[in-house]
Amino acid sequence: MLSRLSGNAARRAALRSAASRLTAAEARRSFVQPSQADRASVVDVPSTYQEDAFFAPRADMLGFKLELPQRGNSLTEQARPIYLDMQATTPVDPRVLDAMLPYLTDQYGNPHSRTHAYGWEAEKAVEEGRAHVAALIGADPKDIVFTSGATESNNMIIKGIARFNKDRKKHVITTQTEHKCVLDSCRKLQEEGFEVTYLPVQSNGVVDLKELEAAIRPDTSLVSIMTVNNETGVIQPMKEIGSLLRKHRGIHFHTDGAQAAGKISVDVNEMNIDAMSLSGHKIYGPKGIGAAYVRRRPRVRLEPIINGGGQERGLRSGTLPTALAVGLGEAARIAKLEMRDHARVKSLSDRLINKINAQVEHVVRNGDVNGYPGCVNLSFAYVEGESLLMALKDIALSSGSACTSASLEPSYVLRALGAAEDMAHSSLRFGIGRFTTEAEIDFVVDKIVAVVQRLRDMSPLWEMVQEGIDISTINWAQH
Amino acid sequence: MAATAPSKQAILNLYGSTLRASRAFSSYNFRQYFVRRTRGVFQEIKDEKDAGKLRAFYDEKTKELEVLKRSAIVNQLYGGWKLVVEKQQPSRERADS
Repeated sequence: MLSRLSGNAARRAALRSAASRLTAAEARRSFVQPSQADRASVVDVPSTYQEDAFFAPRADMLGFKLELPQRGNSLTEQARPIYLDMQATTPVDPRVLDAMLPYLTDQYGNPHSRTHAYGWEAEKAVEEGRAHVAALIGADPKDIVFTSGATESNNMIIKGIARFNKDRKKHVITTQTEHKCVLDSCRKLQEEGFEVTYLPVQSNGVVDLKELEAAIRPDTSLVSIMTVNNETGVIQPMKEIGSLLRKHRGIHFHTDGAQAAGKISVDVNEMNIDAMSLSGHKIYGPKGIGAAYVRRRPRVRLEPIINGGGQERGLRSGTLPTALAVGLGEAARIAKLEMRDHARVKSLSDRLINKINAQVEHVVRNGDVNGYPGCVNLSFAYVEGESLLMALKDIALSSGSACTSASLEPSYVLRALGAAEDMAHSSLRFGIGRFTTEAEIDFVVDKIVAVVQRLRDMSPLWEMVQEGIDISTINWAQH
Repeated sequence: MAATAPSKQAILNLYGSTLRASRAFSSYNFRQYFVRRTRGVFQEIKDEKDAGKLRAFYDEKTKELEVLKRSAIVNQLYGGWKLVVEKQQPSRERADS
């Protein structure tokens, strides 16, 4: 041991002296310094070393390590997947962006500045946007409050109305298929001492009016039911619910209209809606802006969450983002104008469903058939939804809401509809929008049919089904 | 004063330029949408005789043409990869490999 140590030390000392000799001799340095034989030492390769394939330059590197910008028409060809997730978000319409750009560049005034022209022009633009949003849902412009999105609107309205009425009324009604932000706001209210009824839905996803009426109590302050479901596209009978609630005094009717506005016709007066949440990025507008409709006649009073300078009737203080408000307004204006989009979305949706049904069997459509056609939720039996998504790399799809897409849990919305666990696991949500084309739908159908067939061929369950064994009767061994 | 209707030639010219502006989008979805929409709206107005409606249509579409031209430029500036349904460029190989 000792001798080996000393031997090592001697060798290192010799090396060092050799190196100093070398640097002294070669005062003139070149780019390449060849190492001399006396400097060479044998070292074991590290354990992480991988044979030849460890670092192999690709053919397109041309001998260099290229850092290519992630843009089109460059040397590495790459294709973008087809976007069929319009319930998560929609692309910003180019016309919306064009309306926004002046307020992101030259007209940068604060819309609340009343003392100079910069403020006036910004305020005028914001008020025009507000008028367009109001026109989309048949409301008065003064009833519209700009927020950061539908989540903030939902929080503001649900917590605000419940807390304002907490002295006399402590009961809130909602449904089991609501968006997470509504359910979470209600859970927060429960912690504060409110009572919340989560109404079940029928197997087609629609609320039973009789059950709703039975759940109403004298101390109910708020009923919150979403117009169009974000996962199944189910449309609730808003008109009937509105007129039912109008019979009971003092109940406020809130609806989450993020998925409904601009896609189906919504009129707050016809439907007797007292408060409504809207989102910009679901109607081809920018992200980061939404609106809350809060009726003034008869007045809906609520406690604001954000306090401050008293902007937006004191309900939502803070400087308005002018460009985003203009973008939301322009998106609402276009959505109201472009009626031709509805028929087109319907025809694309029918094309998708018919083509898939013609080529694949055991496909179940989740939710009401007469729901919003732009949201088609299909369950492919005996195929796991996540593996289906992973095999479809050329298509941007989701198995459910974007908020829960990180977890492998089956969708709680589909469970509330009464779908079996395996069907809830194998669901795919197709979101069709204004910019979807027939060619994309055909491409998606071809891919889906091929992938479902391949995954089923691998599946032992599918084999059993082909042999006529009923899967639900099998008694699986417990381990 | 009653509005004077734009001539048929003027509407056809506007149709041509709008179609050209729509084709200039680099994003597949936007390009397809605006081409389809331009064809649709001009098809609908083809047999319109009312001078007032024609004038209103012409003024609105002239404004929209400017919007489309600007949008197409912005879209080209930030254009990305092609979509999988589009015709991809042929893959080139180095001559010496």
